[in-house]
Amino acid sequence: MREDRARAERALEESLETAFAQRSSRRSFVGRSAGAMLLAGGLGSFLSACGITGTATKNVEALRAEAERVNHPKVPIGNWVFANWPLYMDKSVLKDFDREFGGKVKYVEEINDNNEFFGKVRQQLTQGRNIGRDIVVLTDPMAAKWVRSGFVSPYDKKNVPNAKNLVPNLQSIGYDPERQFTLPFQSGAVSLGYDIRATGGEIKSIKELFNPKYKGKTTMLTEPYDSASTVLIMQGKDPAKATLDDMLGAIEYIAEQNEKGQFRRFTGNDFTTDLTKGNVAIVLAYSGDMVQLQADNPNLRFAYAEEGCITFTDNLMLPAKVAHPYAAETMMNFLYEPEIAAKLCAYINYISPVDGIRPILEKSDPEIAENELIFPPDDVRKRLKLYPSLSTSEEQTMYEAMAKVTGG
Amino acid sequence: MSLSLRRKMIPWWFAAPGLVWLIVFFAVPIFNQISVSLMSGDPEVGFELTWSFSTYADAVRDYHTQFLRSIGYAGLATIIDLIIAFPLAYFIAYKAGRFKGLLLLLVILPFFVSQVMRTASWQLILNDQGWAVARMQDLGIVSDGGQFLATGKAVVFGIAYNFLPFMVLPLYATLDRIDRRLIEAASDLYCSRFTAFRKVTLPLAVPGIFAGSLLVFIPACGDYINSSILGSSNTTMIGNVIQSKFLNVLDYPSAAALSFILMGVILLGIALYGRVLGTKNLTELAG
Repeated sequence: MREDRARAERALEESLETAFAQRSSRRSFVGRSAGAMLLAGGLGSFLSACGITGTATKNVEALRAEAERVNHPKVPIGNWVFANWPLYMDKSVLKDFDREFGGKVKYVEEINDNNEFFGKVRQQLTQGRNIGRDIVVLTDPMAAKWVRSGFVSPYDKKNVPNAKNLVPNLQSIGYDPERQFTLPFQSGAVSLGYDIRATGGEIKSIKELFNPKYKGKTTMLTEPYDSASTVLIMQGKDPAKATLDDMLGAIEYIAEQNEKGQFRRFTGNDFTTDLTKGNVAIVLAYSGDMVQLQADNPNLRFAYAEEGCITFTDNLMLPAKVAHPYAAETMMNFLYEPEIAAKLCAYINYISPVDGIRPILEKSDPEIAENELIFPPDDVRKRLKLYPSLSTSEEQTMYEAMAKVTGG
Repeated sequence: MSLSLRRKMIPWWFAAPGLVWLIVFFAVPIFNQISVSLMSGDPEVGFELTWSFSTYADAVRDYHTQFLRSIGYAGLATIIDLIIAFPLAYFIAYKAGRFKGLLLLLVILPFFVSQVMRTASWQLILNDQGWAVARMQDLGIVSDGGQFLATGKAVVFGIAYNFLPFMVLPLYATLDRIDRRLIEAASDLYCSRFTAFRKVTLPLAVPGIFAGSLLVFIPACGDYINSSILGSSNTTMIGNVIQSKFLNVLDYPSAAALSFILMGVILLGIALYGRVLGTKNLTELAG
């Protein structure tokens, strides 16, 4: 045995020696590899010499004209892709859909952040390629950016008759006045979350976030669309009409407060941990997240600030060059059936844009139907404000200013 | 093709998979990003190569604080990991007997859970009202009524925790491979146990220390998860800046330039460190 092995090893050695007979020394080998790498580098710079395509405003009028003529014939559903945020769907709704309409929806919870997701698909979009998703769910400012950059496909309203159930106040929005490219999926509000044991009483005003009494015991949202707009509301300005300068002014205010140590930290959805663990007293919060927290701890409260608050909408959208528009439209239509919308609402606890679900929930889930975070009362609805509309380069300036404050 | 040519080609065939890998996943992206770092423009009109080297100067001017902080945090975490990992690896290699495998498994077990989840769990454990912070207050690590989370200490702790196995494993591999007879020989020659450790074990463990330090320090420098979960706006590391430049601000040239500066600084640091510990150590470990 051992002899055999030794012989085999020797044979291998010999063959290798022959192979390396004209042995390239390590140095020359490395040298040649470096040459190959340089060549590849040349290729790399050649590739990028073309530069990075911008997201300048495309001809929105042409897109709107396309929307007028759009006609997506009825075809078998097949396999298609729905990209959404985590924990934002009752999966049984998807199963029901597959059962009722056939085909198979590949449901991916891949959107954790609008900007991050955009970064992932930006290149394909700017090059006018299909991104392999048939529905994406994006929040207003990002949805606006996709519409003005022509990254969307219009949907065929004939295939979405249930869109008539869209609540009146969302039927038109600045970036998509006739809802040709976007259909609201869920809405929520950005306002005050607090622990009533820590504050010792009800909190009503945004000013409390900046009250020195709570120094180091508050958190602020990293997203300037949310935080700076909230500051503007506190200052009595309407964020929907805000200019870049207004936003920069609000960010400046946040910076001053941060330097004084008012905020423990800047957060995304993770404000929940600091609040539930009692590290902070008041946070700038998303209403949808607060519903769940309250269920676990009744001391945690959410207040629609008396000055008003930002409402955001996440939108169902078909990306440009969408491969399965009919499947996507059928799903949009399905989600706008009041029974389905009610089921979804009871599961994810955000504000549903579908009219007529409250009576259904009153029967099936009275607690949800009574919840003001899911069904804001009329006086609150009047105080809900929309995001400012900024151009892409204004957005960049805003994010740059905010990043300086949050340390990034 | 002649036989000799074919023979000449053989080593290239052996190297081909690795070379292709290097070219596709290293060389192309690197050169691509170098050219991105020299572009200028804005996200609306796009970016074009203008050989704008000033981006580098601006990046250093604007973010030297975050650079220094990253190096400081990563360095501290590396030292902490070394202090914790050395005795642990020593114990596993020399004293654990048949539990060796089990202990090594325990060291890497946390890696089966995603880093974000593990770090977020620390956020829960280390809350201001929690038991852990109360004990740290008793020990004087945290001032009375003070907090641990949202401070630099928490970030360093998080990094040290997350990268500990990268220190333990190479140290264990080196220590385990040391020929025990050398230590016996040392004591035969009247070395005390401590002297034997100092003069035999420790020098032979240097390759492990070197490799472990690199494996911890390099990724720690670019880490952004610990700072964003356990830190505050005063603990931002360069990784957070790059992430925000790339995803939010859409300033790709600055993001790329910052990455290259980080790479340069790390390479320089490693070269110096290698000088101190002897550059052959890494290859010795690999052999």
